[in-house]
Amino acid sequence: MPAICFIFLPIKYYYVRTHDEGVAVNKLNKFPKMLTRMRDGFLLNIGFAVLSIAIFLVIWYGLSIFLDTAYLPTPVEVWDALVDSFNTPDPSLGVTMWDSIMASLKRFVIGFVLALAIAVPIGLIMGFSKFAGMIGKPIVEVFRPIPPIAWVPFLFVVTGMIWGPILAIFIGVLFPVLSNVIFGVKSVEPQLIDAARTQGASKSDLFAKVVFPYTIPYMMTGIRIGLGIGWMCIVAAEMIGARGGGVGIYILTQANIGRYDYMFAGMVVIAALGLLTVEAASYVERRVSKWMGA
Amino acid sequence: MDGGMKMILQITNLRKQFPKENGSLVAIDDFNLEVEEGEFVCILGPSGCGKTTLLRMIAGLDKPTSGSIKLKGKEIANTGPDRGMVFQEFALFPWRSVRKNIEFGLEIKNMPAAERHKISDKYIELVGLKGFEDSHPYELSGGMKQRVGIARALANNPSILLMDEPFGALDAQTRNQMQKELLRVWEETRKTVVFITHSVDEAVFLADRVVVLTSRPSKIKEIFKIEHERPRDRADPSFLALRKKILSELESEANQPSK
Repeated sequence: MPAICFIFLPIKYYYVRTHDEGVAVNKLNKFPKMLTRMRDGFLLNIGFAVLSIAIFLVIWYGLSIFLDTAYLPTPVEVWDALVDSFNTPDPSLGVTMWDSIMASLKRFVIGFVLALAIAVPIGLIMGFSKFAGMIGKPIVEVFRPIPPIAWVPFLFVVTGMIWGPILAIFIGVLFPVLSNVIFGVKSVEPQLIDAARTQGASKSDLFAKVVFPYTIPYMMTGIRIGLGIGWMCIVAAEMIGARGGGVGIYILTQANIGRYDYMFAGMVVIAALGLLTVEAASYVERRVSKWMGA
Repeated sequence: MDGGMKMILQITNLRKQFPKENGSLVAIDDFNLEVEEGEFVCILGPSGCGKTTLLRMIAGLDKPTSGSIKLKGKEIANTGPDRGMVFQEFALFPWRSVRKNIEFGLEIKNMPAAERHKISDKYIELVGLKGFEDSHPYELSGGMKQRVGIARALANNPSILLMDEPFGALDAQTRNQMQKELLRVWEETRKTVVFITHSVDEAVFLADRVVVLTSRPSKIKEIFKIEHERPRDRADPSFLALRKKILSELESEANQPSK
């Protein structure tokens, strides 16, 4: 019950505020600090998020009862499976969910860092040098539309089971970062370049002290988009085949042996990991663009 | 000019044309000007004439088509820290604090941090930004941003300060305030200033000489020497008379179709 109050309180005051400005201001000024913060919309957003998830869970619950809980387990069963998967090793894989997460995360980090290490310098050069941009752009345009997953079979053949999924993430992250960095370099205000030049900046000074810092927020946008794509890539790539476990393999294994509650638990884990990394990245992105004065 | 005075800037037979679809656009033609050391020169012209182009060529940001620009007897070939520039839209580095913006040129010279700090302190004090050293440009008002712009240009200790309509983006009140501040800074540093504006009032208030340009292609139409004591009184009848005279000069130019 308190949870429901928590959801409706902010909504109530939201309406008070929008429909009766004068009265609401007087009232709100008397509010304790926590309630005043609702005005700022932060708790309001959380309230709606909780409401939204609650609606989803109710629909899910209804559907699984209505259909067949053997194929579509209820949220409660999935929750139990989720807790169990962390506590006891999986009978067919012999590892806990932690091990699967760590295996996926390791691939993720390696692929991600590799993509950054390559996309950032190449993007800077392609944006900064007209020649490099003209040479590089057609190549990028040809490769960009290929879905990262389409590379996976080829990568398995060439690099084997270990590097396949890593390189799938690499490709998934590479292009959004690359195109955002190029866009960032091209967006540098000409006036800033002029200002730096009149201060005596050489071409390498311009690159290091104007172009690069200017591009950082654009880079962050690319990273946020890349992270979202990255999680989709790793799960799919692992399902095509990977050695050493992973959440994708976990989900596929559970589906094959008919443990659907555990399969859904794996999907919940992926959702949580994706949400966490993307939210963390957009937090950094917001901080960075504030720092940039945007 | 008087033999005792040292000419710091000499512009002779300057011409600048830009390529256009059919033929070319002549922005500046047959332009000759000499500026004394320590002088405050305002360049006044109808909008769309080559004022900014002229200043950019002195800064080395644009190259003349023909003619010569000499600073202290040396032909200008490129940009350099001996010419400080202040921009209409401030052009501050948004990710740098006030202090870091002012120290930009010093960083480029690879000056040690302690020395940089001393110099930036001096100019922060000079332009009245004390207490805002660690603020970022987005936290500052337009007038304060331009104070940073002026301090940044001065920190390099340039031979000449080039100002491209520096107060054009400010409201009237801030603008008047900044003009007074600029004169104070100028009197303390005794830098040579070339100041572009399209405001007659501003030019008459600030300058030792006001150079009125023709519309495109820009040549010098007339030069007015302003000998009023500073601080100048805008309400003074002779100030107003001079203002009126320059204004009519400028207006006759603006009404002519550009060639």
